[in-house]
Amino acid sequence: MLLLQLLVNGLVTGCALGMVAISFSLVFATTKIFHVAHAGVYTMAGYLTWSLITHGVPDALAMILSVAVCAIVGALIQNQLYDRLERRRATPLVVLIASLGLLAVMQNIIAAVYTPNILQFPSPWSSRMVSVGSIRLNYTQMLTVVIGLLAYVATVQFTTRSILGKRIRAVASNPFLAEITQLAPRSVYVYVIAIASALVALPGVLVPLDLGLQPYGGITPLLTATVAMIAGGVGSISGAFVVAVGIAVLQNLSLLVMPGEWSIGVTFFIFVIFMLFRPTGLFVAR
Amino acid sequence: MDFLYSYLVLAEIYVLLGLSTNLLVGIVGIFSVSQAAVFGVGAYIVAAFVMGDTLGFLPALAIAAACCVALNILATLPSLRVSGDYFVVTSFGIQLLATAVYTNWTAGTGGANGLPGIPPAKIFGHEIVETSEFLVVATIASLLGCLCFWLVLRSPYGRLLKAIREDEIAVAAAGKNVLHAKVSAAALAGAFAGSAGGLYATFLSFIDPTPFDLDASILLLTMVVVGGARTLAGSIIGPFLLLALPQILTLVDIPTTIAASMRQLIYGVLMITFMLFRPQGLAGEKL
Repeated sequence: MLLLQLLVNGLVTGCALGMVAISFSLVFATTKIFHVAHAGVYTMAGYLTWSLITHGVPDALAMILSVAVCAIVGALIQNQLYDRLERRRATPLVVLIASLGLLAVMQNIIAAVYTPNILQFPSPWSSRMVSVGSIRLNYTQMLTVVIGLLAYVATVQFTTRSILGKRIRAVASNPFLAEITQLAPRSVYVYVIAIASALVALPGVLVPLDLGLQPYGGITPLLTATVAMIAGGVGSISGAFVVAVGIAVLQNLSLLVMPGEWSIGVTFFIFVIFMLFRPTGLFVAR
Repeated sequence: MDFLYSYLVLAEIYVLLGLSTNLLVGIVGIFSVSQAAVFGVGAYIVAAFVMGDTLGFLPALAIAAACCVALNILATLPSLRVSGDYFVVTSFGIQLLATAVYTNWTAGTGGANGLPGIPPAKIFGHEIVETSEFLVVATIASLLGCLCFWLVLRSPYGRLLKAIREDEIAVAAAGKNVLHAKVSAAALAGAFAGSAGGLYATFLSFIDPTPFDLDASILLLTMVVVGGARTLAGSIIGPFLLLALPQILTLVDIPTTIAASMRQLIYGVLMITFMLFRPQGLAGEKL
């Protein structure tokens, strides 16, 4: 039952990828910033948790702490970098280059401190296997699915029900009107990036818990998540999540016909197809 | 002396790459982190032809340049139809895909071990072995590139490109073909990067995926950012300064294991600092 196993593996990576996609989508739809440094926050979350755990902090507490730290780092990025650039009326290209620079800084500080080699988490529970029928999963993978689905539902509820969520959507749909109506877009941007950074810290910890940490491992998931966001329709949380799961499943199924090194090709192929035939994405945001 | 010569040759090759990146990022105004991948296509194509002894150096260089032109057109065309932001994805995608090909397609590119023993360039029956001789070739190539860039910038076509950066909709309303102008600029950028790749492969006689990966693309972007966008002077200053940086770093006592990370870290810091405080770079115009 290789097919079924690959399908389930696809769902697991899809849930992790979906969290990256919805967090990136929150930032991009609201601030219109192509926040490449998001990949740096993703990587940082994993290394931070690893450091805390190796210093004797309980696993769950370490994870919560690094989610909190990531939220603060995200707020600082908006406050200290993007907001300054915005005040200087920087073009999107300038903001993008600065964001890429920040990503380079974050990744290489990590690489210099922890060496560029793969690190494994010292948590024996994470790789314990469970068999359901012919499918084998470990605890981390099951946790990824549970947290991924919860994060998705929570984000949808948050953006549609809560006051702050509604404010975010208002700013996303019309920043000028939001400015006039005292919704203070600039402080909303800080909240959005902080929330998105906390959200991306979850897969940032869960994925390396299963596969190990790598300082330069953030770009590929971010790129795949971006493709999911565009294919799902910019601004649509559900679109981003569903397409992310779809892409991950396709990538896993592609292992039947070609080796894993080429899975970036599958992602890119999906992107080109969408660019040519449906550039607005599957789900148009309301 | 050879050390200085090889620094100059590499800097001149990177001037061609700087011009290429400057055309895309500075002049057309699209973000690109895939110029190193295009550079690699040029390098591997020339290496394949010259090693197989099927073609001489110059025809191989011409074919490599043509392939890179085609690649850049293919890359820009679908994205420019939609929105500038999506070009970021295309650009990252091409770069990651290219790195995957360079490292995993062992039969064609030698994989991570690279392709050793690329024979020296032969131009009009004369084999170029000495670094000082290659310096002449590289100087001619980079001067040709600079001349071409300068001529484009001061031509009516160059003014059209500048106008597109200022206000794309106004240019389109004036009846100019914006897409055509952008794609042809990208094509020219491809020609520069492809020829630079061919020169690089024959000069070092060894290539592996490292100079063509994402970090290398970030380096190219940093060169344009530091030198300055949209000027010839900027595209020359950037490569010469940034290629001197690793030499300066060897004077500081850093463990070799983290030297590469430190270099990339400095590029990142330079990018942020210049974007915050001097987006026009040392000798450029406003980005």
